[in-house]
Amino acid sequence: MLTLSLLWLGLGAVIGLAALAAQLAPPRWGGWRWLALPALGAVAALLGGWLGALLFDRVQASLVAVWVCIPAVVLTALLARKRQVA
Amino acid sequence: MQQAHPTTTQQIPALVAARKRRGWRRLAALVVRGALALAFIACLLLTVTPTGRAGVRAALLLPALLTATEPPPLLVAGDPIRHTQRSIASQDGPVYLDIYAPTTPTPPIPGARQGLLLISGVGDNRGVPQLVNLAQSLARSGVVVMTATTDTLMGYTLVPETVDAMVQATLALQHTPGVNSRDVGIVGLSAGGALGAMAAADPRIRDTLGFVLTFGGYFDATNLLRDMGRRALMVDGKLVPWQPDPVPIQSLANTIALTLPGPDQSLIYSGFNTATGLALSPADQARLSPAGQAAYHLLVGDEPDQVAANLAALPASGHALLASLSPSSVVGQIHAPVYLLHDQSDIYVPFTESRDFAAALTRLGHQHEFVEFSIFQHVEVKSGLGIGQTLRDGWSLYQILVATLGAGA
Repeated sequence: MLTLSLLWLGLGAVIGLAALAAQLAPPRWGGWRWLALPALGAVAALLGGWLGALLFDRVQASLVAVWVCIPAVVLTALLARKRQVA
Repeated sequence: MQQAHPTTTQQIPALVAARKRRGWRRLAALVVRGALALAFIACLLLTVTPTGRAGVRAALLLPALLTATEPPPLLVAGDPIRHTQRSIASQDGPVYLDIYAPTTPTPPIPGARQGLLLISGVGDNRGVPQLVNLAQSLARSGVVVMTATTDTLMGYTLVPETVDAMVQATLALQHTPGVNSRDVGIVGLSAGGALGAMAAADPRIRDTLGFVLTFGGYFDATNLLRDMGRRALMVDGKLVPWQPDPVPIQSLANTIALTLPGPDQSLIYSGFNTATGLALSPADQARLSPAGQAAYHLLVGDEPDQVAANLAALPASGHALLASLSPSSVVGQIHAPVYLLHDQSDIYVPFTESRDFAAALTRLGHQHEFVEFSIFQHVEVKSGLGIGQTLRDGWSLYQILVATLGAGA
């Protein structure tokens, strides 16, 4: 599970970087956004992966990690933007 | 005003370039957002739908089938597995079972694991790397795999009692903790395909069996012997030369010999060579009974024009034995979906056997799928294959995998 957990952390970080490329990060986060979104993605993917391994099996877990991580990163970024506007 | 104009003119290209850059960035952002949305939808569907889960498992398993090794992604992402051995009793004596199962707890979704009974045909194949790799790869993908064999199978002999052995093995797999008893399939390779199909027709399991898959199996043992006798296959109404491997000759020789007088049996057993097949001296041939001589010529293929007469000269018990070893005699009693796979250049069992099987199932209106491959030799992957050929057959194999793994996903 260690290898898989590392894989999920990496996957999450890549998704966080993709969210940055998609200009989803709130401007107020400034330079921290380069760290915040990949870190958020990594944590979300790790949790998603473990959830997937418990609910389905290891084979499906990486896919669960992806679909848990994407909305977690995107929604967090969008909510932060909304709060900033408000 | 006159001096300001050149400055503005210089700024225009820079402004245009900046606007272009912003436009490209916006476009790139939109593309990445679209990719994220697609990845989310694809991963969600692949996880929450049974077909999606089967597709993922099939995608991980396909390289294992095509390369005959355990692919690294499956080693990393798959379940850890445990190999255990046990034996159970049957009409054919002890059935030796090798069980490959994930060690992780049964996942809540779908709640139970799929079970596969793998019948590898004649000979002792329990340690054959390709079979072990297949069983381990399937187990890593979450399936409980059981391989089954008997002393007669390991002795290159086919007897009707082995069907009972495979039924007993299926029942044992259905009662294995964590296995969904209604999601157990039989995968029969070579002669194991015929045994699997006949087991699938058995009243004890035919209504609970998930599917039966035969790969390189025969449909009618008499037709197999006929093809062997004439050293040719009837393909689309034309006779096509066919040279069988010594292994199926040995298996049929051992089987037919059971119905011949004792001295014939000894002569036929003594005349077999695993490299060249069956060969007796003219003097030994003359010592065979008429039925023994007929069987000998059918196995050796030296009287292709006398095949019908030689078949007719076999003892009644020989005909009965061949019928009792043929899925053709029980095809109407199979209730589970049937998947037929066969190599077009198979030198162990003619591919026309699976064609005949498929034709019979079509006549009966029975659910089945039939695929002819060119990337295998009998049941093993050939080497040095072209990409087009591999992709075409690989896609067919993938579809069969999704269909067979789908129910339990």
